[in-house]
Amino acid sequence: MADPLLRLDDVEQSYGDERVLDGISFEMDRQDVQVLIGPSGSGKSTILRCINRLVEIDDGDIELDGDSIFTMDENDLRRQVGMVFQDFNLFAHLTAIENVTLGLKHVLDMDDEAATEKAERQLEQVGLLDQRDSYPAELSGGQKQRVGIARALAMDPKLMLFDEPTSALDPELIGEVLEVMRDLADQGMTMLVVTHEMGFAREAATDIMFLDDGRIVEHGPPEQLFEAPEQERTAEFLERLTALHGGIHG
Amino acid sequence: MTPLEPVALLSEDWLFVLRNTDYLLFGLLWTLALTATSLTLGFLLGFPAGLVEVYGGRYSKTAVENVGVVLRGTPILVIIMVTYFGVGLSPAFVAATIALGLRSAAYQAQVFRGSIQSVSSGQLEAARAIGMSKWDGIRRVVVPQALRRSFPGFQNEFTIILKDTSIAFAIGLAELLTRSYDLFVQRTTAVLEVILFVSLLYFIVTFSTNRLLDYLEGYVAIPGGGR
Repeated sequence: MADPLLRLDDVEQSYGDERVLDGISFEMDRQDVQVLIGPSGSGKSTILRCINRLVEIDDGDIELDGDSIFTMDENDLRRQVGMVFQDFNLFAHLTAIENVTLGLKHVLDMDDEAATEKAERQLEQVGLLDQRDSYPAELSGGQKQRVGIARALAMDPKLMLFDEPTSALDPELIGEVLEVMRDLADQGMTMLVVTHEMGFAREAATDIMFLDDGRIVEHGPPEQLFEAPEQERTAEFLERLTALHGGIHG
Repeated sequence: MTPLEPVALLSEDWLFVLRNTDYLLFGLLWTLALTATSLTLGFLLGFPAGLVEVYGGRYSKTAVENVGVVLRGTPILVIIMVTYFGVGLSPAFVAATIALGLRSAAYQAQVFRGSIQSVSSGQLEAARAIGMSKWDGIRRVVVPQALRRSFPGFQNEFTIILKDTSIAFAIGLAELLTRSYDLFVQRTTAVLEVILFVSLLYFIVTFSTNRLLDYLEGYVAIPGGGR
């Protein structure tokens, strides 16, 4: 059995005196789609940010493809790990296609032609080739997020991190983003997703982790967490979440 | 009836101004040249200083901030006296450029610091997340947006510098205000006329340059309004 693609080993992280992650350990195999859920402030986003070192950990280790990420050059690491942000963070002064080609040209050193061709394919994959020359301010939230996904995918990452990708969207725009994510999962992309979209979690996740207070309270396949959670807290949280977000978009 | 000569409608004092238009316009050229060199020096020093104030390390940041406070806190007359008489820079044009340029750098640093800080931190984070170095992300993502947002502040700075070039009067540089002084001490009844005419020249330059900068701002604006 090969190494897991991602392994977190007893990761601890604090901001000042506040302990955010209190011993997080889990593994992801290639093609896994793991969903992180939990109340706000439970550390979900911080886990993602530790994995691409936007946030540094205090203790423990994180391995990508068998190597500790702390032995790698941080820019090399980030090339291999795509990230999609809650508020998109598209480069505001660049068109959709330029958002995608920026990294291709200046991180992967592709020439203009190859970068453009690749970016067009990537935009097509998220259904936005017709918007290639639009600026972010001219796109809807759903379109922005799809460009954000295309931008991350263009770097050919081994792993994609999604940080509440639909939380900033109007309800009618959530579906188009989830559809792109589902396609991506079907194509075998390894994905770690922070979301409260329970429809997506139930349908696309190989595993769900419930996080509270910087610890993983429960970790298992969707059937287990939804149908027979072992922890009282998981049950309570999922009940509230389903009442709010229940499979509407799934 | 012989048709009236248009100039016959003007008073002797206005005719005096008119006869010396060339002399004043050459002064205006000095003023424009000094504005251009001072603003350029101010930009070349002030823009990097703004970057250091936002992204610099603790020591470089403190150093830049302190130099800025001193320069902004010193009257321009004192600065120009120091560069010309104190340091002994010459000719006067160079001393004036260094004085106005250094002070402008201190103000421009604040303009650029503000516009850099107004770019959401998520922009640089997104650049870092695709594997860009911090410097590359600043250069390719933050700076292009910050520069677009610095137009209003820069416009202010231009207007202030244009008029502050008149401080070069103190070191005898023959710019616009110096020349107007030369004229009205020659003909003391024409003080008002000379001053009004010179003010008109300042106004024309300020107005047209501000319109030009407005146009440029619109031209480089991000379609859809950016964020």
